Amino acid sequence: QTIPVTGKVTSTSGETLPGVTVLIKGTSKGTSTNGDGSYAIEADAGSILKFSFIGLKSIELPVPRDGKLDVRLESDETILQEVVVTALGIAKEKKSLGYAVQELQTKDVAEAREGNLVNALSGKIAGVNITNSQGGMGSSRIVIRGETSIAGNNQPLFVVDGIPVDNSQLGAGANGSRDFANAIADINPNDIESISVLKGPNAAALYGSRASNGVILIKTKSGKGTQRGLGVNVNFGYSSEKLLVLPEYQNVFGQGTGGAFSYVNGKGGGVNDATDESWGPRMDGRLIPQFFSNGEAVPFVAHPDNVKNFFVTGHTRTTGVSVAGSNDKVDYRFSFNNSKQTGVIPNTDISKNSFGVNTTYRLNDKLTLSTSANFARNSSDNLPGTSGRGSSVMLQFLWFGRQVDTELLKDYNKGGFDYNWNHSYYSNPYLLQYENTAQQRRDRFFGNVNLNYKITDWLTANVRTGNDYYNDKRKFRVAYGTNGTPYGSYTEDSYVVNENNTDFNFNFHKNVSTDFELDWLVGGNLRSNFNEQNYQQAPRLAVADLYTLNNSRDPLVSYNVLRKQKVYSAFSSAQVGFRNYAFLNLTARNDWSSTLPTGNNSYFYPSVNASLVLTDAFDIKSNVLTYAKLRGGWAEVGKDTDPYQLVNTFPFNQPFGSAPLLTVSDVFLSEDLKPEITQSTEIGADVALFRNRVRLDVSYYNTDSYNQILRADVSPSTGYKQKLLNAGHINNRGIEAMLNVKPIETESGFKWDIGINFSRNRSKVVELDDEGFLNDYKLGTNGVTVYASKGLGYGAIFGSAFARAENGEQIIGANGLPAKNPSLQVLGHYTPKWMGGINNSFSFKGFNLNVLIDTKQGGSIYSATNATGRYTGVLKSTLPGRDADHGGLTYYYPGNNKAGVAVQVANAAAAPTGAIVYDDGIIANGVTTDGKPNTVIVPAERYYKGVYSNSAGINEASVFDASFIKLREVKLGYTVPQTFISKFKLQSLTLALYGRNLAFLQKKADNIDPETAFNTGNTGQGLESLQLPTTASYGFNLSIGF
Amino acid sequence: CQDQLEETNTNPNEAIKAQPEYLLANAIKSNADLTLGSDASMETTTLFIQHWAKIQYTDPDKYTVSIANVQNVWTNLYSQGLTDFATLIKLGEETGNTNYQAVGLILKSWSFQLLTDLYGNIPYSEALKLNETLTPKYDSQKDVYLGLLNDLKKATELINTGGSPISGDLVYNGNLTKWKKFANSLRLRIALRIADKEPETAKAVVTELAKDKSALIASNDEIAQLVYLASPNQNPVSRDRETRDDYRVSKSIIDKLQELKDPRLAVFANKTVDATPTGYIGVTNGLPADSAAKLGFTKTSKLGDYFTAAASPAVFVSYAEVLFNLAEAAQRGYIAENAADLYKAAVTASLQQFKVSNADIATYLAQPSVSYNAANYKKSIGEQKWLALFSQGLEAFAEWRRLDYPQLKPAYAGVLNGKLPLRLTYPTGEQALNAANYKAAVAAQGEDRLTTRLWFDAF
Repeated sequence: QTIPVTGKVTSTSGETLPGVTVLIKGTSKGTSTNGDGSYAIEADAGSILKFSFIGLKSIELPVPRDGKLDVRLESDETILQEVVVTALGIAKEKKSLGYAVQELQTKDVAEAREGNLVNALSGKIAGVNITNSQGGMGSSRIVIRGETSIAGNNQPLFVVDGIPVDNSQLGAGANGSRDFANAIADINPNDIESISVLKGPNAAALYGSRASNGVILIKTKSGKGTQRGLGVNVNFGYSSEKLLVLPEYQNVFGQGTGGAFSYVNGKGGGVNDATDESWGPRMDGRLIPQFFSNGEAVPFVAHPDNVKNFFVTGHTRTTGVSVAGSNDKVDYRFSFNNSKQTGVIPNTDISKNSFGVNTTYRLNDKLTLSTSANFARNSSDNLPGTSGRGSSVMLQFLWFGRQVDTELLKDYNKGGFDYNWNHSYYSNPYLLQYENTAQQRRDRFFGNVNLNYKITDWLTANVRTGNDYYNDKRKFRVAYGTNGTPYGSYTEDSYVVNENNTDFNFNFHKNVSTDFELDWLVGGNLRSNFNEQNYQQAPRLAVADLYTLNNSRDPLVSYNVLRKQKVYSAFSSAQVGFRNYAFLNLTARNDWSSTLPTGNNSYFYPSVNASLVLTDAFDIKSNVLTYAKLRGGWAEVGKDTDPYQLVNTFPFNQPFGSAPLLTVSDVFLSEDLKPEITQSTEIGADVALFRNRVRLDVSYYNTDSYNQILRADVSPSTGYKQKLLNAGHINNRGIEAMLNVKPIETESGFKWDIGINFSRNRSKVVELDDEGFLNDYKLGTNGVTVYASKGLGYGAIFGSAFARAENGEQIIGANGLPAKNPSLQVLGHYTPKWMGGINNSFSFKGFNLNVLIDTKQGGSIYSATNATGRYTGVLKSTLPGRDADHGGLTYYYPGNNKAGVAVQVANAAAAPTGAIVYDDGIIANGVTTDGKPNTVIVPAERYYKGVYSNSAGINEASVFDASFIKLREVKLGYTVPQTFISKFKLQSLTLALYGRNLAFLQKKADNIDPETAFNTGNTGQGLESLQLPTTASYGFNLSIGF
Repeated sequence: CQDQLEETNTNPNEAIKAQPEYLLANAIKSNADLTLGSDASMETTTLFIQHWAKIQYTDPDKYTVSIANVQNVWTNLYSQGLTDFATLIKLGEETGNTNYQAVGLILKSWSFQLLTDLYGNIPYSEALKLNETLTPKYDSQKDVYLGLLNDLKKATELINTGGSPISGDLVYNGNLTKWKKFANSLRLRIALRIADKEPETAKAVVTELAKDKSALIASNDEIAQLVYLASPNQNPVSRDRETRDDYRVSKSIIDKLQELKDPRLAVFANKTVDATPTGYIGVTNGLPADSAAKLGFTKTSKLGDYFTAAASPAVFVSYAEVLFNLAEAAQRGYIAENAADLYKAAVTASLQQFKVSNADIATYLAQPSVSYNAANYKKSIGEQKWLALFSQGLEAFAEWRRLDYPQLKPAYAGVLNGKLPLRLTYPTGEQALNAANYKAAVAAQGEDRLTTRLWFDAF
């Protein structure tokens, strides 16, 4: 006798559970729950139904007589059936995976907000290295498990809801010298449900060409399971930003050189008044004409906070509303977010508005349609300038007169435009901020449509198409009368970026026997990208104060660049599970890329990995060892290249009058490029002890990348600057460990969690080309040069070094200045030796306190701030030796001939009569070439300029250990108890107070934040270049559910 | 499917084929920019030759030459001008347009001449052949100059005034007769350059050229030069002065011009902003930064407006230079002409080039201090050539080294132990990218220093 059984399956929290497998025990007959968690099945009376769902404890229940059976499934923490999102968005039990995966949840990124999403990952994920280009409003770089490509992109692929989205940083540092944020900053943290980090090829092999740097999968929130209340959530946030690090300036000596200064016109009319350095007179109140005094001699005094006071407090306000709902047919979620950030630099801001809709529509039992659509507008009236005299205020403050009262500069129109302390190189810093603006507006639309058809219980088909489109327009103004550009200029630079992906797959899932389970996927993908830049400039305006391209004295400077790329792919993956404790995973993918030549453009990537849950396999039940899993795997992935790397072409130059100009390209391209190949091996273990009170996850990986596509420098006498090579080999290997400990968990509800992550990566450039012709590949240069050098780790910093005697003492030349080692030396590597983070979390009765500390140890950074500020004498570190009060030695020149050799004397009285006596002598610590102690006395200014000169100085003096320990995040959250809020008809109410980037607990680099780089590419790493100071932020976040 | 992929990867931004006229125009502009730009001129040769001096950032004026400047001269000449000219020659051969071949060869030869003048031994016979070698050997300076004489001769023979026309010619606007004159004038220049080392060759070349002086640049209207336009195609010096104010006219040349009561003073230099008794004050080369700054920006002479104008030309070979070379050739006995007359004509041509009135020219030439001294012709020609080549740093530097006049005092705080630079060092890139050949060149030529004397510089 069969009985029709119906019922509903819910979780312990009351959410309905679609997709729960309902099986009649002992048979292969079964069904699964539909969208609202309900099911219907015909079963024999007396038979037993088994309800199972990934991550939940299975339950077996007898068929009741009335056929009504509602089931509640408990989550099954004890056996660690965690589910994670893997490649192509497929949810899998973590225990079945042969590689490490780490996930973050919404609260990890949304509560303590960062302007740039990438920064929110700092310190939280093992093996992830994040650097900022600028404080507060700019771009960030993320690299997972070291650089696998010598010259190519090393940042991971970002995938939102199954669709790759762009994270380029377009036009960085170029026109207008702004640090435009990388594009993933458009994603609103409040919409994120989870972030899954696939670290490298083993986890990401199914993504083929783009997997070698890892993949960051972002899943956005949906309306699924929202049934209580109105489904409305409102979110308010506020934070304020303050400078974290500002260089330490000296406040003893003012503008000038050789101790002399007097202002007439700020461009050489007075005494050293064009000099943008602070080797001038003591700021002791002596009377000197200054820029504000109309020729009158006025007290020359220090303004110690003149730079600090230029900066303001930044504010960020965010408001978000979401409405979500779910019934048996439809899940939906709509969200709107607004954020408005003003920066620490005056008159800078970024506004973001985003709308998102996520819906799932269950058309019938078999067909489900999901859509996701997001619109984001990111706009700024002015972004902070980052380099160059025309926009960077930090440059001006490092080439500065320390006596300048910046308060007086606020009125930059006073007595005519560009009222300033200097007129030979700089414009008023306020003028730069208020007149010479850089606007940006990025309108972005991304989304996808996904159709899922359940052909049978064990076979589904899936078709998805997704698109990411944005239009990024920048407008740069330079006002009439700005120093160096008397007629000003106006530039428009716009980008259109589009990526379309269409993919389809069949997914087969079946228990093939009582012991074996098979999960098999086969599919294909069509990808097309285009990217267009359109640049136009009116190089000199015809009339002032009108910013339009037509307002030009000269022909417009213009160019455009269009790039297209297509990739076709076919892929398959299979997972075989044995008794739910042993798993074998296989993947295969073939890509056909338009960027490679016919013949080389088809390439295949296999991967294999396996996992074995020892505790289940050997039926270990112990109070100490709760869980143990071993895993391992091997993967091969590849990488194509940028478009148009095969055929030599002739670029145009700006025409000369009516004559068009065309030139031979600087790079000799290669017609037979092959794809870059990365092979990676990973092994690991996952162990839980003491009923999950201690949990350790360790991985070791070894990655080799071959056939690197490089633009190698060649002797220009060949007619070219570079030749495209397809060779080279770089190895990365390292370990990662994540340790979670729950030292205290009391009955009263007090919980203390400690999460520790640690990673260490070693890279080695094994080879650069087949012929052994190339030993160094230049990555970036700025004072020093950063190389990938054969035999060394990636990112070696080469520069000039002190000449040293055998005992390590500096050798001092006959001129009294430290001598330079005649050949360039390796001064460090920018890559850290190891990184780590430790998060302590305390929770009690709705309160939750998180303290995150993270560190990077062992890398190096070249600091142009230090080199420049010591050359110009503005930094505090240039005080030693500058006068008697600061340890300066006394000397005179025989016959007062300054070109002669100075003679040291004990005091002024000891000098011959008539001799001018100086007290700024330095005898450099070191030995002469014949090993005797140096005795030559030089003026302090000459010493500092000698050592820190950009062209003739010694780079080693400006290379610092980049190690730091940062108090990254402190967050206090409170979830108001249900009993209280239900009186106000609220579903939830949480409040979080937080601070981010609060303090350095350790820092070895003077005057800068060492966690910084010139840009997000390979070209800017290890190079600090007068960057804007980084910021600390303090804020709160309030979330109310109705 | 493959077709679609290939089509996707067709570069839509750049030309697949080069138009010869566009290449020609580009390379002329590129080389002209180089001869006046900061790398080969402003920060190096005009300072070495004491035409200009620095009032700020004086390191280069003290002969601390920036690595970047040295590299850029090499890189720009080889990978811009030369490679464009080489491609132009190839295009000429392919299309049978001998005139493009000829013009390409003339300009290519001129570019190599600039390189060898500066560095000495250079990649020449194996240069510009990336498909054959990534590491071209260096040829001796002698071989380079002799090769260039041949190439230029070949170029003049290729020119066919009745053949296919050329365009994109920013120098002579397609006038092939004038290109022949330019080629011959370069041959004359090179012949004199090697006169102390290879007098027989020099004599043979000059004798051939002097037969028909109309086949040389024969008036100021025929000067080989690029006349710049308004912004954004302005003269590089003009562009520099829009934002920088680092340079002044050297005290050496202002003092000389004043001593000679030279009417070109008002052309070469501007009066100081603050009035002075003489109106003109030069800056001593190679002062320490603080001493230079103390002189005062308004109390020292800036470069004359003639040279800072947007449309000021970049001169490759001037008429005056041709006459000076002929005068020297006469003096050396290569040709049977009156050296003093040719010298006078050369000085006259220079003054006319700078629009000095005929009356003033007569007055000037009448001065004993200006008149030709056959007994010390190197002084007469050297000094006047130095003046005539004002702001043509590259040629002035080469001829000063060869003629050893005027006798310049080293920079005040020069770093070469009281010596003056006699060349540029090889760029550091060569040590890394063409190491074996670089080492061989240094072994053959002498230490890679600024003070190493080049082959042509016999005395």
